[in-house]
Parts: sequence; structure tokens; C-alpha cells
Amino acid sequence: MISDLLPVSLIRTLSLTLVITSVLVVETRRLRAAVVAYVVQALLIVALLASFAAMNHALYWWAATALVTKALLIPWFLLRYIRKTGTEEVKPLVGFAPSILVAAVLMVAFFRLTHGQAALLVPSALADDEVLRTNLAVASTVFVLGLWALLTRRDAVKAVIGLCLLENGIHLGLVSFAPGLPETALFGVASEVVVTVFLLLYVIEGLVHEFGTTDTYRLRELRW
Amino acid sequence: MVTPSSLPSIACLVPVIAGCLLLATGTRRRRYCELVALVTAGLLAVVGVVVAVRVASGNILVAWGEELRVDALSALMMLVVGVIGLIAVVYSIRYSTHGQMMETAGMGGPERRPAVFYALVLMFLGTMSWAVVTNNVVMLYVAVEATTLSSGLLVAFFWNRRALEAGYKYLILLTVGITFALLGCVVVYAGGAATGTLTGADTLMLSRIRDVAPLIPRPTALAAVALLIIGFGSKAGLVPFHVWLPDAHAEAPAPVSVLLSGVMIKVALYALARTVSIFFPAIPQLTVFAVAVGCLTMVVGVVLAMAQDDLKRLLAYSSVSQMGYVLSGIALGTYLGCYGGLFHLMNHALFKALLFMAAGALVYATGVRRISQVGGLARQMPVTAACFLIGALSIAGFPPFNGFWSKFTIYLALANSGLWWAAGVAVFTSLLTMVAVVRPVIRVFWAPPPLDGLVLDEVREVPAALWAPMVAVAVLCLLLGLMPSLAYDTLHGAATVLAVLGGS
Repeated sequence: MISDLLPVSLIRTLSLTLVITSVLVVETRRLRAAVVAYVVQALLIVALLASFAAMNHALYWWAATALVTKALLIPWFLLRYIRKTGTEEVKPLVGFAPSILVAAVLMVAFFRLTHGQAALLVPSALADDEVLRTNLAVASTVFVLGLWALLTRRDAVKAVIGLCLLENGIHLGLVSFAPGLPETALFGVASEVVVTVFLLLYVIEGLVHEFGTTDTYRLRELRW
Repeated sequence: MVTPSSLPSIACLVPVIAGCLLLATGTRRRRYCELVALVTAGLLAVVGVVVAVRVASGNILVAWGEELRVDALSALMMLVVGVIGLIAVVYSIRYSTHGQMMETAGMGGPERRPAVFYALVLMFLGTMSWAVVTNNVVMLYVAVEATTLSSGLLVAFFWNRRALEAGYKYLILLTVGITFALLGCVVVYAGGAATGTLTGADTLMLSRIRDVAPLIPRPTALAAVALLIIGFGSKAGLVPFHVWLPDAHAEAPAPVSVLLSGVMIKVALYALARTVSIFFPAIPQLTVFAVAVGCLTMVVGVVLAMAQDDLKRLLAYSSVSQMGYVLSGIALGTYLGCYGGLFHLMNHALFKALLFMAAGALVYATGVRRISQVGGLARQMPVTAACFLIGALSIAGFPPFNGFWSKFTIYLALANSGLWWAAGVAVFTSLLTMVAVVRPVIRVFWAPPPLDGLVLDEVREVPAALWAPMVAVAVLCLLLGLMPSLAYDTLHGAATVLAVLGGS
């Protein structure tokens, strides 16, 4: 069994904290605080990847890449732009209380769904392994919270943070999906997110210059 | 016969390296940038032709182990990337001197803009070449996402309100959409690996996974297909994931629209076909579903196109519609369907490039994009008018132009597979396309100018540097229409690769 190799209780604790940080990232309206929560989440992911590395040593590389891209580069870009574009998020589409309620429902639903149906996506013996199932469930929860942020947040910078959350979910899921994935593939996947964030923030800076706001609902030049 | 070759690596590395060099040197000399771009794009086109010839004689070119693998299908795509890429670069040399394009403030000031523009165009071409030659299922996702990233700033290149809005939507929607494709690719990989028959690097190679695909459990295969259709489908502009497309294709500079509509959405559809078609033999019902998605895309695209007054948005929506044809063809999985679909892919690359170049020429000469504001321009701009008309008749499937043959093949293939309803939808959409595209062209060039329209007495034909590439493509459209067998060798090989189901 794979779980014999892994520090199971540590992974549980890390996973649970990870879900909490995602909620913080989505619900905080002060963008700097959201970025801090994102950094915490990135560090948790690095720790998780490192604890999984006992089963595949390529994951050490994956953890190192995640440390550089998610915990250093992306937050650095974000903080630099937040200084230029404003620290307070534009009021979201959905208020705090309903949003956190929906987020909670989504979390529970997706966690249970993925935990129960893991074998459908990962047709290998690995899917039977409790630790990997939990990881997949956590990953999908983070993913769906990122999607929720993207759908309901009007602020462009917050949308970028939501996108990062979504990618975090996917990258964490890769550990369960494909534990044997070679590091070149992982490196390609991780570096693209950095470029995406950089380009999006660059375009958002232009938007702020032209429209004077990061509110995406004010982007109404193109209809039909 | 599998032959090691350096051509695939040249096609994906040289443009990216040339682009990086242009960016790194940050040169202010426009002529130098144009020269680098022309030489590189020319090289890419030559590589495309050479590869097509070598593959047509029965070779499969591989590089870096089997990481890059060019079979007949990839060769067809390389040809499209190379030829349309060269045409777009030739066209941009004159087009980019016009109006605001190189003067607005964004991206490091006006003097650096030519270097940035050509560097991004070259990287865009290089990443598209990579996407069509890679054999690694995860790198396929990485390459397709890389095409989004290299073209994101090109969409926003005018750096005004409209362009920035389009660029933002483009980047965020496509990045989110393509994430599903990553999941899909990884599920394909995990499914292949779990069959236990592949080892080492083979577990990532699409050409190997294809052999073991029937062993992948059905629920896993269906999950993978759903994820891939959302992911690559959003990039290919399939309905209902098409919302980014009209904004991006209309707001980008004309040469970039040529690349987006002419090449990029096809690269995404290629990625979709490559990955999804491996499941066709095990789950043949998928074909009907995919044809239905194709028909929906056709109809929605053309109906929205008819509602447009902005010429470039109209062309963008008609791209959506035409992608529906390509999908319906190759989704059948039969030889005839794949032949028709790929032929239409090639033809659409040509005539949509022609139409976007002609629309760009109209903007160049008049500064107007709205159909209702102009009329009767054929006297002043005869070459542009003729090229626009040829493009419009081709896209409407009028004989003797190339679009007629590919659409006709698709109708036959749909009917042959017993999907009469789909054939009916395709014929009906073709009639609507005629109304949607040919009527505005007549109106702009031959109808009397509107009374409340702009006064455009000083309009003159665009310079030869703009009309020469248009005429070249128009001649190709006509040539392929008169002699459709010219493309037979390339298309036959590609269709054989993709046709995984029996029957005609």
C-alpha cells in the first residue's frame, strides 16, 4: 500500500487547512490579505507535495517549482499590481453571507462527490487508496471554490486570484491523477500559470488606465 | 516508415528563439524586425512544404525520441501554419505602418512596438507549430495554452478600450477553459497508464495511448471526452464556448485576426480531434454527439453573423459557423467525413485569411468597419472588392471555388453515415452563410452609398504590399476549386490517420 509510505495524519491536517485558506482567499475583500492567504495556501501545497514525494521522487521537483512559482513569483506580481490598482476589491456580485453559504455547500458536495467517485476519474489501483482519494477531493474543492470566485467576483484582480486558486486545485489533483508524471510535464504546467498571471495583470493595468476601474462589469464596449 | 528528422524541432524552436531574440535586443529599427519576421516565417513555410512532401511519400518524422511526431495529419496542420503564417507576416509589414497601430502607448512605448509585435507573432507561430507536432499528451495542453499566452497581447495590441476588454476576456476565458483540457489530458494519460501495457515515456505518447484506448474503462473515457470538449472546444470556438471569439477576432489587428481565425482555432480543433478520436472505436456513439455539437455551432454562428453590422465581427461569427462544418466532418470518424472536414479546415484557413485581409484593407483605406456606413467602393478599390467577393463566394460554398468541394464532401459524408438531419442542417446553414456574408460584400462594394453614410471621395485602392498577399490567396482558393485533386495527397494521408471508423 502506498499509504504505508506516507505520513497520513500530517497529510490530513495539511489538506484541511488548505480548504480553509481557499475560503479565506475567496471571501476576503482586502486584496492584500487575500494574497497573504494565497501564500499560506501555496506553502501548504508545497508541504503536501513534499510529503507525497515518498512515492515518486519527481514530486520533490514539483514541490520546488510550486514554491518558486506559487509562493514567490505569483504573490510578488499580485502585490506589485495591487499597489497600483487599489487594495480594496470591487463589491462582489454576491454578498458575504450568501457567498459563504454557497461556498460551504459547494465544498461539502464536491468533497463527497469526488471522494466517492474517485475511481471514475482515476481508473487505477491508486484510487482505492484513502490518502489519494482525500487529496483528490481536496483538490476538487479548491478547484470549485476558484470557479465560484471567478463567476461571482466583479473585480479583475480578484478574478486573477480566483484563477490561481483554480490552478492550485488542478495541480494538487495531478498528484492523485498521475503520480508518475515526469517533471518536465509538471514544470511546463506550472510555468504557464506564472506567465498567465503576468499577462493578465499587465492587461488589467491597461484596463485601469483606460476605464479607471478594475470592475469587470464596466467593460461594456463589446456587446453581441 | 518512422524517420528521425530535425524539421519538426526547427518548426517549433526557430520562431520562438527568433521572437525571444527580438524581444531581448529590444531593437528600435523597424526594418530589422520585419526582416527577421519575414525570414523566419518564410523558413516555417518552407519547412511546412518539405514536411508535407516527405510525409506524403509515406514517412513519419520523429524527433527527441518520439516526443515530436509528424504523421500526415500533423503535416497538414504544419502546412496550414506555415503558409498562412507567412501570408500574415507579409501582410503585416504594410498594414502595421497604418494609423494608430504602432503609435499607441501600451507595451513599452511606440519605438519598441514593432519589435514586440513581430516577436509575439513569431512566438505565436512557433507555439502553434509545437502544438501540432507534439506527441506528448500533457505537452499538447501546454502547447495549446502557450498559443493563448503568446497571442493574448496581440489581441490587445491596439491598447484602447475595446482591444483591452477583448484581450482581458480572451486571456481569462481561454485560460479557465483550457484548464479543463489539462484535466482531460491527464485523465487520458492516467487511463492509458492504468491499462498496465505501457511503460516509461510511452505512457505519455499519444500514438501509444491510441493503441490501448479501447482498454480504458468506459466511464473514464467519457469523463475525459467531456473535459476535452469543454477545454479544447472553448479554444476552437465551439458553441456554447464561443463568447470570447468575436471580441478577440474583431478587435485584434487584421494580420492577427488572420492568424486567430485562419490557424489558431484549427489548431485547437486538431488537438480535440487527436485526443477524442482515440475513443471512437470503443464508443462509436460519441460521433453522433460530436456531429450534433457541430450542427449547433454551425447554426448559432451563422445566425449571430447575420445580426452584425461590424464587418470584422461578422467574419468572426462566420468562423464559429464554419468550425461547425469542420467538426461535423471529422466527428464522423469515417474516411469521407475526415477528408471533407480536413479539406474544409484547409479551405477555411485560406478563405478566412483572405476575408480578414480584405476587411483589413477596407479599414486601411477608409477607416470604417460598419457595413451600413459605406457603399459602392468597388470603383475605387477594384482589387479589394474582387478578393472580398471571391472569399465570400468560397465561404458560401459557391462553385467553382474551393469551399464548394469541401462542403459538398461533408454533406455526402453526413448522408452516407445516415445522419440526414445533419446533412440538412449543413445545407441550410450554407444558404444562410450566403445571405450573411455575400450580401454585406455586395452592399459595401456595389450598392449605392447610403445617404447618411460617410463621404469617402478620396478613397483609393490599397498599396500592392497589401493586395499582393490577398491576390495570392484568392488565386489559391480558385485553383483548389478548379482542381481539388491538388490537395489529394496531403488530405488523403491526413484523413487516413484520423479515420478510425470503418465505412466510407
